[in-house]
Amino acid sequence: MRHAMKHLRAGTILAAALVGTAGFAYAEDVTLTVWDWKSGDPTTAPYFDKVKADFEAAHPGVTVKYVMQPHDQYYTLLGTAISAGQGPDVVLLHGGSQAKERTGALVKLDDAVADIKSRVAGWPEFTGADGSVYAVPISIQGFAVYFNKDLWTKAGLDPAKVPANWAELKADVEALKKAGITPFALGNKEGFGAEFWFSALAANGWTAEQQAAWAKGDLKWSSPEVKAILQAWVDANKDGWFAEGANSTAKFMDEYESFERGENANTIGLISDVAHWKEFDGFLGGDKVGVYVMPPVEGGNGTLKLPLSGGIGYGVTKFSKNPDLAIALAKSFAATPAMQVFFESAGAIPSDTAVDTSKVDSPSAKEILGWLKDGVPLAHANMSTAELEEWHRQSQLLFTGETTVDKAAARLDEVQASSKKK
Amino acid sequence: MTATPTSKDASDARSGQRKRRVGANPERLALFFVLPALALVTIFRIVPLIWGLGYSFTDYNGIAEPNFIGLANYAELARDPAFLDSLVNMLILIATLPIWIALPLVLAILIHQGVPGGKLFRAVYFFPAVLSSVIVGAIFNVLLRYDGSFNAMLKALGFSAVDWLGNSSTALFSLIAVQLWATFGMSLLIFLAGLSTVPSDMLEAAKLDGAKLLQTWWYIVIPSLKPIIEFAAVVTTIGMLTSMFGLIYVLTAGGPGTSTTLPEFLIWLEQGKMNRPGYASAISMVLFLMMAGLAAIQIRIMSKNANLS
Repeated sequence: MRHAMKHLRAGTILAAALVGTAGFAYAEDVTLTVWDWKSGDPTTAPYFDKVKADFEAAHPGVTVKYVMQPHDQYYTLLGTAISAGQGPDVVLLHGGSQAKERTGALVKLDDAVADIKSRVAGWPEFTGADGSVYAVPISIQGFAVYFNKDLWTKAGLDPAKVPANWAELKADVEALKKAGITPFALGNKEGFGAEFWFSALAANGWTAEQQAAWAKGDLKWSSPEVKAILQAWVDANKDGWFAEGANSTAKFMDEYESFERGENANTIGLISDVAHWKEFDGFLGGDKVGVYVMPPVEGGNGTLKLPLSGGIGYGVTKFSKNPDLAIALAKSFAATPAMQVFFESAGAIPSDTAVDTSKVDSPSAKEILGWLKDGVPLAHANMSTAELEEWHRQSQLLFTGETTVDKAAARLDEVQASSKKK
Repeated sequence: MTATPTSKDASDARSGQRKRRVGANPERLALFFVLPALALVTIFRIVPLIWGLGYSFTDYNGIAEPNFIGLANYAELARDPAFLDSLVNMLILIATLPIWIALPLVLAILIHQGVPGGKLFRAVYFFPAVLSSVIVGAIFNVLLRYDGSFNAMLKALGFSAVDWLGNSSTALFSLIAVQLWATFGMSLLIFLAGLSTVPSDMLEAAKLDGAKLLQTWWYIVIPSLKPIIEFAAVVTTIGMLTSMFGLIYVLTAGGPGTSTTLPEFLIWLEQGKMNRPGYASAISMVLFLMMAGLAAIQIRIMSKNANLS
């Protein structure tokens, strides 16, 4: 027995030694782990495949490994990885508060991205409070109102004449209601409907100074220009703008699916990722989908600009064992040939301005591309997550009538003040 | 045991020694069997608990080094409307406990007394207990949403539709009803098992003495089931407070407002979405203390009754 154990032990040591040398021989082999919530999506797969293939060809011995996490759990999982100080080398992040609140765990990229800074757009959403860049944007996100041209025609509206101000929008809504058509699809179960409404209405109602004050937390919820948006939310609901049952309808994707089934005439959608022109074109037909910019309920100077921000981007974790390679990989996600694939296969509006978008034939995509040069900020991207969460709650209570605009604004002021303190 | 090696055979002696080492001291043997469970509880329950207690005194945000902030998290809790609302919701939930016990109890007694199709009912009632809460949530999402089947039925009968999950006055009760539907089969089985221990001669004697059906329930069946009822109450309470997460997540996401937010859901929200593990730890500690208190009260009642009998 003892003899046998001795043999076994010797064998184990030998095996371990062999594995050790084998490992040593391939020490140059590096695996870069990338976390995201998109790589498993069939429409984005060609883009991810191209980035991987190009990067691995340019860096022999390096393997790019995508790990797709569920979207709704993503930041919980990422938070766990960050606390443990191990996990992915490169991470996909939403621009705005989600990226900005995690800069402590990310590598500063200022010097590394100097050469692509002018070609790629969308940096402010990935810039930390210290003024440094922490992620490479790959898409531009924005909120546009999509509409079903058939339903508009049925209500006697001209799809070529989109509303230029709040009064015209109101008149269009009335016409749709008269024809028995629900004017707007709305899902607010998680509060996202209210989030989109807020940014869409703030976009052209606020001045650049007000937007800047909002980003700093100096523009209070109880100030008139903010309360006007909350009041419009309540009034629109009361006036029958929205599909019923918004509080129990998920925006992703119940709201959009009902729009795609032709059950409602308008919806506030995105310009990249999902719920965008490419998706709606696929269901309703490219020539049946129209798009316009949400007019403000008050304020503004009559021009309508699309609310835009850096959509999603790649950052490098501080605990990456191969930071240089990881930075190179993060940059290669924004390389023009890959971005071209991203635009064509997934319909994402790329952050890379060098992408050739001239061949797109979707009428709404053409409109959106024309608006990109001159956008306005997305207000919700400049709110803290605590404020966003409270707005989600208050927006639902405004619908059920359990709170008033004044009370909701007062509560949101408190949350804004306490999250600014931190 | 006093097995001493008397034989000269060495192997016999060894086996005797081994027997004495393991078997001679029953307490040590018991410890030996308890040890793995004890180790698991210590590593996966006690250590994280102390760890969480430590975090609850910090401003830990999952990224930067935690700073000690004393009782600031607890002070903030006392003023946090979302947390206070979640406590109220929890109390409402606990207040429905009698329904959670009475419903399966009555059904169990009926099945036990041999209503026609009892076996079928037993299977049907128990079936939802094997479904995961996410699946149950998905099913009831289809049924209860505004354009769902339940409202379609109401409309067909001439009633107006109700936004069951999107209305603060109905959302929590809808959630409770769904959870009750999904879990009462387990209590039913426990009660059925308990009912088989009710002495049948006593029931027969009562019948001969002319006791009515409800009288036999009240004076014989329920008193003899008392320990089982208490056990079911403890298990159900703990289940209510710790396993509603999946349903909340799928059905209401804690809304509208905070009307279906329970402490466990808030812990998840603060920890993950809001990057505040420190604050979430403080909520966990409060929840832990309340659960411990509740369990202590119930165990006390149980042991008191055990002593009486």
